[in-house]
Amino acid sequence: MAAHRAQWKGHLKIGEVSCAVGLYTATSTSERISFHMVNESTGNRLKREFIDSETEEVVERDQQVKGFDTGNGDYIMIDPDEVAAVVPDSDKMLEAEAFIPCGDIDDVYFDKPYYLVPVDEADHDAFTSIRDALSKTSATAIARTVLFRRIRTVLIRGHGKGIIATTLNYDYEVRSSEEVFKDVAKVKVEAEMLDLAKHIITTKKGEFDPAKFDDRYEDALAALVKAKAEGKTLPKPKPIKVSKPNDLLKALRESAGMDKPSVSKPKAANANSGKKATASKSTKSRAKPAAKKAS
Amino acid sequence: MAPRRPYWRGYLKLSLVSCPVAMTPATSESEKVRFHTLNKDTGNRVVSQYVDSVTGKPVKDEHEAKGYERGENDYVLLTDEDLESVELETVRTIDIEKFVPRGSIEWVYLETPYYLTANDKIGDEAFAVIRQAMEAEDVVGISRVVLGRRERAVVLEPRGEGIVVWTLRFGDEVRPENEYFTGIDKKSDAKGVSALEAVIKKRLKDWSPDMVSDPIQESLLKLIAEKKKAKKPSKSKTSKSTKDDDEEKSNVVNIMDALKKSVAKELKSRKAG
Repeated sequence: MAAHRAQWKGHLKIGEVSCAVGLYTATSTSERISFHMVNESTGNRLKREFIDSETEEVVERDQQVKGFDTGNGDYIMIDPDEVAAVVPDSDKMLEAEAFIPCGDIDDVYFDKPYYLVPVDEADHDAFTSIRDALSKTSATAIARTVLFRRIRTVLIRGHGKGIIATTLNYDYEVRSSEEVFKDVAKVKVEAEMLDLAKHIITTKKGEFDPAKFDDRYEDALAALVKAKAEGKTLPKPKPIKVSKPNDLLKALRESAGMDKPSVSKPKAANANSGKKATASKSTKSRAKPAAKKAS
Repeated sequence: MAPRRPYWRGYLKLSLVSCPVAMTPATSESEKVRFHTLNKDTGNRVVSQYVDSVTGKPVKDEHEAKGYERGENDYVLLTDEDLESVELETVRTIDIEKFVPRGSIEWVYLETPYYLTANDKIGDEAFAVIRQAMEAEDVVGISRVVLGRRERAVVLEPRGEGIVVWTLRFGDEVRPENEYFTGIDKKSDAKGVSALEAVIKKRLKDWSPDMVSDPIQESLLKLIAEKKKAKKPSKSKTSKSTKDDDEEKSNVVNIMDALKKSVAKELKSRKAG
């Protein structure tokens, strides 16, 4: 615990219950493979420079100011102090304004998760009560406060021994799924196709632990780089076979393992003979019930 | 918001069924008040350009290449076309490997949401079959796809007529919660909990995007509008001398609309360029 620094400290409050909490970043970003930008003609690395768009002279850091485009290339300079003045003082209070059932939230708004941790031993009573009440009702509390110099909406949810606070994106940052999906063709799916697809899904049901996922890109890229460096021709991506509407049912049947007439016929025959066998067996077993296999 | 060009195009696959799909980000920065960097001395925009680190000369776009560092100052140059040849099916195909109950993926792993739709009439039916079957089974699909030079685990969640695709954070990108929550061992007080449960139940509400408004964005737009007015003395004089609040407000609102439009326009042109 001591190794981590709180991003924010304040109070968590529901109704009359409150406690001092620290907010800790729950995530970090790992590095992806980075390329360097290179000058093709010289083979040298490139570096970025900041220049004046008109005079093309280099503009040093201390000469750079914030500005806003009011259209037609007309810019207004904005003093950072003026921007800061717009942000209200923080009351350092995450107070639940309302509660939403966990399943009802549009998760597309999720921004970043943070761990909420009680500051002192004395805060544990209130903290655990809030946590358990949220978990028992399967609800999240919604709170707004000044975080990182913006007024942010935060979802607060019980999580194991602790609480997770998720910042949400603003309304204007999220495209509504209804809007995006309204142009999707409404297709009436045949019952047989739907049943086959459901069957395929059933055969693929399982568990998934995101923590155990591994990225295979780096190895694949290394192989590509090696091939290129050795002057080999790089393989062309294989064309992908798309299921045309006429072939869809066949593809579904094959996927579900239900399109093998040569196999299914003898199976049916076996099933019949099996019936006979069970019939004769059942008479036997009726005679000797003790012989029935336990498991 | 204006429709966006797909961020990714490829194929959605379930066993032997596949269809062409397109993916667009669910979030957008286009409406956000954004600042540019200006040169304090001239008031002009500051832009970035690439220069050769040895010669110091600006480099034209067509000479900029991606280099994979093989050794010190030794690069293997790769074109975008080369990168398409990476031998991973997940560069172009989201093959659903597994299904898990909806809601079973921890929120903490959800990173970036995208919207997935069929990208050609030919795939409408296959897409609909996959989506509807997931919905009927109340499951989400698990797959992988290469985005931004990494292979990402993704979750596919049926929603409305489409599918929401979430990239998941890598295991080492989620900090171990035990390090934070250890020591919170006190049992909660049953009475306190039930009192809080009552408070929660009384104030349950439906989710609404109104809950994520941004008052500071509005304040920033107002600040900018006022500065713009101050820049044009003839107009600002009249509004300053009059105490007619309504007129002042409507003026601000109009300018704000104009500003919002200009933000959108600016962003579009930047993307096109």
